[in-house]
Amino acid sequence: MHTGLLSALPPTTATFDFLFNWYLFFGLGAAIVVISLLAFFMVRYRSRGKSDPPLHHKTEGWKIVLVTAMISLTILSVAEYQTFASFSNIEIPNDPNAVHINVVAFQWGWNFTYPNGKYMLNNLTVPEGRTVILNITSRDVFHSFGIPFLAEKEDAIPGRVNQLWFEVPAGTQVPIDAIRCYELCGVGHAFMMANLTVVSQTTWNKCVGGG
Amino acid sequence: MQYWLKRWLFTTNHKDVGLLYFFTSLYFGAVGGVLALLMRDQLSVPNNALLSAVYYNQAVTMHGLIMVFWFLSPLGIAFANYFVPLQIGAKDLAFPRLNAMSYWLYLSGGLLAVISFFVPGGSANAGWTTYQPLATSAFEPGVGPTLVYLGLVLLAASVTLGSVNILVSVAWLRAPGMTLSKLPMFTWFILFTIIAMLFAFPTLIAAFVLASADRILGTVFFSTTAIQPSILWDNLFWFFGHPEVYIVLLPSFGVIANVLPVFTGRPLAAKNAILVATALIVIPLSFGVWMHHMFLTGIPVSLQGAFSIATIGISIPFDVITLSFVESLIRGRVKFVTPMLFALGGVVLFIIGGIMGVFLSSPVLDRVLRGSYFVVSHFHYVMVGAAIFGIFAGIYYWLPRMTGRMYNEKLGKIHFVVSFIGFNVLYFPMSFLFDMPRRIFTYQNIGNWAVLNELASVGAFVFAGAQILLAANLLHTWFRGPVAPANPWSSEDLEWSSSVPHLSPAAEAEVSPPPGGWIGQLASASPVPPLSSHADVPHQGHLSTRPVELSFGAMIFLFGAAFYPAILGLVAMAAGALVVVYTLVGWARDDLAGKFVIPAEPEGDRWPFSAVPKVKLGMWVFLSSEVVLFGSFLGAYIFIRAAAPLWPTGIHDVPLGTFNTLVLVTSGFTMVMALQAIRAGNQHGLLKWMAGTFVLGAIFMGVKISEWINLGSSGFALASTAPGWSLAASAYYIVVGLHGAHVTAGLLMMAYLMKKTSSGAYTKDSHEAIENFGLYWAFVDIVWCFVFPLFYLL
Repeated sequence: MHTGLLSALPPTTATFDFLFNWYLFFGLGAAIVVISLLAFFMVRYRSRGKSDPPLHHKTEGWKIVLVTAMISLTILSVAEYQTFASFSNIEIPNDPNAVHINVVAFQWGWNFTYPNGKYMLNNLTVPEGRTVILNITSRDVFHSFGIPFLAEKEDAIPGRVNQLWFEVPAGTQVPIDAIRCYELCGVGHAFMMANLTVVSQTTWNKCVGGG
Repeated sequence: MQYWLKRWLFTTNHKDVGLLYFFTSLYFGAVGGVLALLMRDQLSVPNNALLSAVYYNQAVTMHGLIMVFWFLSPLGIAFANYFVPLQIGAKDLAFPRLNAMSYWLYLSGGLLAVISFFVPGGSANAGWTTYQPLATSAFEPGVGPTLVYLGLVLLAASVTLGSVNILVSVAWLRAPGMTLSKLPMFTWFILFTIIAMLFAFPTLIAAFVLASADRILGTVFFSTTAIQPSILWDNLFWFFGHPEVYIVLLPSFGVIANVLPVFTGRPLAAKNAILVATALIVIPLSFGVWMHHMFLTGIPVSLQGAFSIATIGISIPFDVITLSFVESLIRGRVKFVTPMLFALGGVVLFIIGGIMGVFLSSPVLDRVLRGSYFVVSHFHYVMVGAAIFGIFAGIYYWLPRMTGRMYNEKLGKIHFVVSFIGFNVLYFPMSFLFDMPRRIFTYQNIGNWAVLNELASVGAFVFAGAQILLAANLLHTWFRGPVAPANPWSSEDLEWSSSVPHLSPAAEAEVSPPPGGWIGQLASASPVPPLSSHADVPHQGHLSTRPVELSFGAMIFLFGAAFYPAILGLVAMAAGALVVVYTLVGWARDDLAGKFVIPAEPEGDRWPFSAVPKVKLGMWVFLSSEVVLFGSFLGAYIFIRAAAPLWPTGIHDVPLGTFNTLVLVTSGFTMVMALQAIRAGNQHGLLKWMAGTFVLGAIFMGVKISEWINLGSSGFALASTAPGWSLAASAYYIVVGLHGAHVTAGLLMMAYLMKKTSSGAYTKDSHEAIENFGLYWAFVDIVWCFVFPLFYLL
């Protein structure tokens, strides 16, 4: 584990953070504007009992709605565009130098099989600075393989292999139990986690590499 | 029998049924709430040992199922029952006995679900989403889960009947002058809700029939890994599940839209924009976004993008609705009474929950948020915040109309304030827990998990405590509340323009029951809409024992089915079947004797259905939901065929099948001839051609049975070990069996119609029943024209 001064950001995390902050900015903004408007109208047009001014019966109002709908359409379109621009997170890169590791979920744990045929239980060891592609499936029920700090998650489904990719640069802080199951899979669901260990290329070659 | 017992068991009056729905759903809400408190108690501190994983999983599963199916939706339906007829100026719903039946099926399903806690092994524990194959008996053994899934099938049947009923009522029973443009907003939203229900719930039936068949009969739909059964389930469940979100939400929006103008003193802003937006949400948008629940299942990136766009698209109409609500305050005179507070609170919580939903529409953000507490926070903001706060507004708003008494305003306001604070303390911290997995029964203190969870748990108890205030206010109103003025809110809607029946037990005790019992009394207290000149007639014959008998018969049968093939189970199945048969015969005899009379309604505003008779409209609506039902089964079959690596061929006797197809198609023609005969007034011809239809139908079923016997003896069975055989047999027997059940039901109906024909009941001008049956029979024929090639020729 590297704990250098350099705290590098994995590419998938960086993409996610940018996108999330974008959504958060406009989401919070919209919530604050609309709720404030509502609060303002509530106070401004509160009933004052007998001294209420006479009502103007105005049934229209679709113009304001149309304008605000156009504004939200614009914001949402840009949001969708930003999502599409972040699809690199969910598209498997065509990297000939990528490391392929097979992941088999089971009740309740993860089995990782490395290119040289070695396998490890509940410990995923990857080389730093290289594209890692996981081929994820399940031996029994529906699980979901998630690494929140890398902003990656993919379901582990019996009879099906799903792929997920990430890259951990040198110097990244890796939390313990970085990998967890995110779909209810029985009584062991709460304890279905695994460690992510990032090692240098040479160490990796020595223990599980060869690829 | 005591009059009050008789009244509540056998009533078909829409107000009584509405009250039954109201109190039953509050009961289920309390059950779901207790389960939620157990979970929040368990999660209040890290490494807690209050609940084991087994019990926690049951709590999390049943909390979801009970709240969604037996609390949220039915509470909206309670108001629909009570107030839609009043709002449109009708005496009752279109089919009063079917309405009672909807209620009793709903209760029966709920009882099956609750009983499941008390059988060995406990209740369902695979999550409310029932993801497969976790919910197969290999991973979720025991009778309890089966009881829950069968309960859901009963519930779905209840919903289908209820939807047909309300839809026909709104289309056909509007008082003269009640044009669509005058329809109150609550009724509009209920209309949208039931349209979504009508097309969503058949898929739920299909999903849980397949799941239950796996558990009871030993079919292999979700245990055949090669066909990726998880994906099959996800598609079925979420095709239903996403519209269900709107089904839960829209009644609340209806209340809000109905309440806002009353307490602002000005008309709703952009009312037509709201209606158009809601129509767009219901059809087609809500049925086109289900795959956003499946972004992580490995569907192609292009599909993820498409469903992301569709999902973000559905937020536009919601923007329109929300902003119209906000705009509706402008230049009004906002009165802060309890219903208005809850309505505005619901709008605020919807804004927050809705915006969180936009985050989840992005497949990239989904890679972190899915399966985490962010999702829990999001859908509780929508389904508890927006949905429940709106419905609470409805409770306070209509309580004076339901009880004739006024609630305590101060207590109501405190209820709102404590609920609103408790709610946000409960769910807002969860939105920061986007790395904590949902549905884990315990956790270690990582980051700020402990603090946020503790906060949420405190909020949960505050929110739950607030509901005691609601209960207190309800009881207070019912027994002690001051008599309410006839129209306390000065609303212009019809439900306030009639005399208010004093339904509270206290009020009843003061008055002895009238000669005809309370039912007659209630019926005569039905509103006489000012738009209608129709004189009000009390209808004494408005009691029926059949709905409750039939529902409980079905419940006993399904209870037994869960234990199949144990002896106890078989006995219960036989007993249940006996009750069902007894009731059906009794129902038919009631009809033949003209025992149950639905009073004729004055001809009102029926646009655009003025040319379609009432029952025929009901049949069309019902058949449209049947289309979705068979569509779901056939869709599942096509999925299985496409995914199965091995499929046995040459098993079915194609010449015999072709012959049988010709028999059924011919029976369609004889049915047309029967109709032609009675249209010309020829009763003898009707009987002759109908008998021909019956014989052909019987031949079809006879051939079917002989085919099944041959198939069984050739080893084409569920337990078959030859590759692909058990899967093919599962699909064949379930789908063809379902069609066979429809044919058999048709034969029974024909027997009844022929009996009625021979007594001269049908004439040239009055033969609606024959027309309706003709529709049904044609539908059964058409379905076979899809089933036959798919199963025999493909």
